[in-house]
Amino acid sequence: MISVQHLVKRYGSKVAVDDLSFEVDRGEVVGFLGPNGAGKSTTLRVIAGFLGPTSGTVKVAGHDITTESFEARQKLGYMPEAVPHYPEMRVVEYLTFRAELKRVARGERKRAVWDAMGKANVRDVANVVIGHLSKGYRQRVGLADALVARPPLLVLDEPTAGLDPNQIRDVREVIRELGKEHTVLLSTHILSEVEASCSRVVVIAGGKLVAAGTMDEIAKKRRSAGLSVVVRGDLDAALAALRGVEGVAKAAPDAARRTDDGVHAVRCSWQKKLDEASAARATEEAVGALVRAGVFVREASPVKSSLEELFGELTGARAGAGGEEEEGAA
Amino acid sequence: MRSFWPIYKRELFAFFVTPLAWVLITVFLLVQGMHFFLLVDHFASAGQQLSDQTPLQAFFGNTVLLYLVLFLLVPPMTMRLFAEERRSGTIESLMTAPVSSVGVVLAKYAAVVTTYLAMWLPTVLYLVILRQTGDIDWSVAASAYLGVLLVGAGYLSLGMLMSAITKSQFLALVLTATVILALFILGVGEFVTREGTVMHDVCSHVSVWAHMNDFASGVVDSRRLVFYGSLVVLPLFVTVRAVDAWRWG
Repeated sequence: MISVQHLVKRYGSKVAVDDLSFEVDRGEVVGFLGPNGAGKSTTLRVIAGFLGPTSGTVKVAGHDITTESFEARQKLGYMPEAVPHYPEMRVVEYLTFRAELKRVARGERKRAVWDAMGKANVRDVANVVIGHLSKGYRQRVGLADALVARPPLLVLDEPTAGLDPNQIRDVREVIRELGKEHTVLLSTHILSEVEASCSRVVVIAGGKLVAAGTMDEIAKKRRSAGLSVVVRGDLDAALAALRGVEGVAKAAPDAARRTDDGVHAVRCSWQKKLDEASAARATEEAVGALVRAGVFVREASPVKSSLEELFGELTGARAGAGGEEEEGAA
Repeated sequence: MRSFWPIYKRELFAFFVTPLAWVLITVFLLVQGMHFFLLVDHFASAGQQLSDQTPLQAFFGNTVLLYLVLFLLVPPMTMRLFAEERRSGTIESLMTAPVSSVGVVLAKYAAVVTTYLAMWLPTVLYLVILRQTGDIDWSVAASAYLGVLLVGAGYLSLGMLMSAITKSQFLALVLTATVILALFILGVGEFVTREGTVMHDVCSHVSVWAHMNDFASGVVDSRRLVFYGSLVVLPLFVTVRAVDAWRWG
């Protein structure tokens, strides 16, 4: 549904998106993940046809966004980040206006507006002036706006930003529901958001692609962060032995696990930037050192870094290169 | 161009649902009403001594009040057209819908011209009142209103352009007022430059004063039509280009 090839977007001399390529297939719910200022909004604005690409091609449902902008925009429902609306209009007036603008046929307009309001849960405020709505409602009016012409593709820029936890849960529910009928691309800087609602994830940082795949594939990239062992014998001797191993940053009793009868759970973490091969060697040495220290090793299992840590590693290295996200040409 | 109607309707809605339009129309009608009253009063006391001019001519031409009103009303009418949408971000929703830049620009322009005409509409009553006292040359009246429409359309087009090149409504207001004032002052140059010089020709060509005098006495000069046609079309064209240009910012 979306094909982004070698997309570059520059604001003056500042590069916001740098040679980004990814695809979104029909029926997928794809999370577009990256820290603030990674170029997410810029990319989505290009896809939605609001900004022109400096170079590279973007196709929406087979239509090039620069040469067949009209057709592409008709296939796409876009919800901008700040969810701007005309404050003086009532919700139902606004959505009817949007439906007409998006060329919903006159006879179907009422129905389309009503359906979209139902899906986005805003029917109860249909006759309220938008300027009087709370942030959560305005966000959902934006969602209804994106839905109103029943586009096959939805592009949502941070749909849960600024909402309270209950509203976030509601919106995620709505998005999961929408994923059954629409292809969805949603951006977020919150990892759990992706875990909650997406089938696939594209991670960018500093305008560049750093990872893409299903959540499981991404999770495989987690590096080993340390070692968890269960030993029988003298705890202090075990800790001393572990601390003597090269590559170990810290060793301490594992507070989360119960210890009794001279059986101790110990957790040690590797020094930062320890690669996989060194981590494996450090594991061998740690077990050897424990044995030499006269403690019996019952269990030894690698500890993987959390997804949050992985996200930090993937994006952190590039964050300096990209800098702040441009406000846009709007 | 099918995006024309929804945007046109929404612009009119936005204009009349906020107090701005009503305040402007009230001010406009107050000023014009006073103007008309003074004229009628003047003609009633002066009688036939001013035979070279009809009240109609005096109302539309040879008066500073007309320009004062335009100078005060056009900038606030046009300032919000694009500047407000860009400041609040609604332009993003608008331009990501399947609309064309030309459609958006023309719809907004048509809406503001419609509002302008709505402001003038009640002044037709003055003609009806004048008819009580004597005959009215309706073709002269039509020519006068054509002049009012052309001058207004030109200024509104300029105002819209100013709104498209800045995100600040206030700046758009100041720029529009400056351009209108500059055009007017250039026109006044007709009276201070010596006849026969290039400057005099230029000044008299752009002089809104002279134009309105012509229109008010029933003279529809094709030079005027070309001048105001350009004053409408050129800013419109540049506005469309400006709207397209935002995408590459």
